[in-house]
Amino acid sequence: MCCSHDLTEKDLQPRVEIPLYLESIKGMKFFDPHVHMTSRTTDDYQAMADAGVVALIEPAFWLGQPRTGVATFKDYYSSLIGWERFRSSQFGIKHYCTIGLNSREANNEALAEQVMEILPLFIYKEGVVGVGEIGFDDQTAAEEKYYRLQLLLAKEASLPVQIHTPHRDKKRGTQRSMDIAIDCGLDPGFVIVDHNNEETVEEVLDRGFWAAFTIYPFTKMGNERMVEVVKKYGAERIMINSAADWGISDPLAVPKTAALMKQHGIPDETIHLVTYKNAITAFGQSGQLNEADFAAAQQIDQSLKFQGNTVLRGGQQPRINKDSLIIR
Amino acid sequence: MQTSEEKRGSAVFSFDVNSLRSRLADVIKRHVSADTFRWLEEKASRINGGNTQDFMMAFGAAPRKTGKQPVVLSDAEKAEILRIRPNLAITHWTIDRLSRVWLLMHLDATKQDEYVRTIETMFPTAEMSEQVALYSSLPLLAYPALWRSRCAEGIRSNIADVLESIMCDNPFPAENLDEPAWNQLVLKAIFTEKPIHRIVGLDERANQQLANTLSDYAHERWAAHRAVHPMLWRCVARFINEKIFPDIRRIALSERASEREAAALACAQSAYAPARDLLEKNTELQAIVKSGMTWNDLAKKLEKNP
Repeated sequence: MCCSHDLTEKDLQPRVEIPLYLESIKGMKFFDPHVHMTSRTTDDYQAMADAGVVALIEPAFWLGQPRTGVATFKDYYSSLIGWERFRSSQFGIKHYCTIGLNSREANNEALAEQVMEILPLFIYKEGVVGVGEIGFDDQTAAEEKYYRLQLLLAKEASLPVQIHTPHRDKKRGTQRSMDIAIDCGLDPGFVIVDHNNEETVEEVLDRGFWAAFTIYPFTKMGNERMVEVVKKYGAERIMINSAADWGISDPLAVPKTAALMKQHGIPDETIHLVTYKNAITAFGQSGQLNEADFAAAQQIDQSLKFQGNTVLRGGQQPRINKDSLIIR
Repeated sequence: MQTSEEKRGSAVFSFDVNSLRSRLADVIKRHVSADTFRWLEEKASRINGGNTQDFMMAFGAAPRKTGKQPVVLSDAEKAEILRIRPNLAITHWTIDRLSRVWLLMHLDATKQDEYVRTIETMFPTAEMSEQVALYSSLPLLAYPALWRSRCAEGIRSNIADVLESIMCDNPFPAENLDEPAWNQLVLKAIFTEKPIHRIVGLDERANQQLANTLSDYAHERWAAHRAVHPMLWRCVARFINEKIFPDIRRIALSERASEREAAALACAQSAYAPARDLLEKNTELQAIVKSGMTWNDLAKKLEKNP
């Protein structure tokens, strides 16, 4: 309606001056299949929308501090399918999530038992595109126990699985994660093995799993290395994500890597597959992810343009000029 | 014929739950495949078997089976639904929302505590469209008085669709909320720019306190050089007094036609002498009233051209 009639269409448009690297990927659409928006600000959402990110997956993870009760897990899962999803929609980005008990907190067995009891309530919810992120951290017996239980849950629900592979002892941890998935009867085509590097990728692909790469400064992949990986292995079953969270990370990792790949002469079709389409194909097996829904999320501005400046009807936030001294 | 148990069960509802359930089943049947309808029927029949987790999973999984297309109703169906449950309009619903509400209507209401507990536990883990369905179901649940605080809690949500499911076409709030909670609903609806002409009972439950608060709110917006939504004055009209009248004089002189129209409609509903006087002396306002314009006409006009 009209209470925001001081806003004009201009206020809603993407910014005019954009960084050089964005010029080269203008018009491309991106899908970030691993990003923890709960830990990010609205500036990040706006920057992602500006850079062409149209949809994302937020896996359930460790919040940086161990939880002490099942109620906080319940609230966290609820926020992934509730508030965070709404917040994302305000920026025209379609938000999906995967739900699971992360490996670190699987080590608190008393709590893990209670979390396992509430998981079935969440994994059948709308827009839940998989069980994740699960797997190994320290590679303890408790981690294995809850990893297995959750694999079975995913199998029962015909949902893809998003596997977190450990930072330490990565190669062995990755192999073990895949062995157990096979052992539990999962189809490798339903399993996305995340946080790969040059050392792990070959075996993951050879065994028929999806290989996800996290572009994350210092601790995971850099994007120059990623360009080389794509040159060597092509696009089949490979996808890129930012895994941006509360650490020093970059929610624009996917579009930036696309720009870098373009600069290095990687064909558009390959870029499209690794930064958009492959993730959709993999997680789309949940039946809960539909490309048409991305367009629906963005129709918010289409209808705005059509109907005038009914800015807040779809809950979308007006854009503000952050360089301005004046705040209105 | 109802069994004696059904009779006892329906006594806790404010309407004939069994006939509404079967009318809604007819509507659902027309919108989903035979397989899906069988699935819904099976889930509905097993709802009271003691396995609440099975019911909750069915409630969550419903859109996977039903899809999410809008519900299309014939005029006869709309009238029949209104006859059974006054003021209920489901014309803006989608099929998953209707199916979920329909499932909820199968819960055994005879054991009050269990019934209330089962539904209450669903709210905290509901995703957005489940919340929409849950809040839409409030006017169709047994023990209406027991859902007052849940309804008030829903109004504290910041999620647009959830708010709309409580505020628009939902007869529960007007029938059950006390005055402070009701006023909060209207104020928040205006604040979040909801289509307030779709609030059931908006005129009937208007009150002096709400009118005063809305006038204050208008002053705040004016002080910040922001526009005031013309429909706000609909809730103020019958409570114009010496304190509020200057607001009406102000909008009667507005550059925006919709504000002058709101001033005319408000004056026409007011018994306050200076407001009647303003109407009598201002030919434009008079012409607006004589044209037969209503608040709903103004709302529709604003929707098209805010």
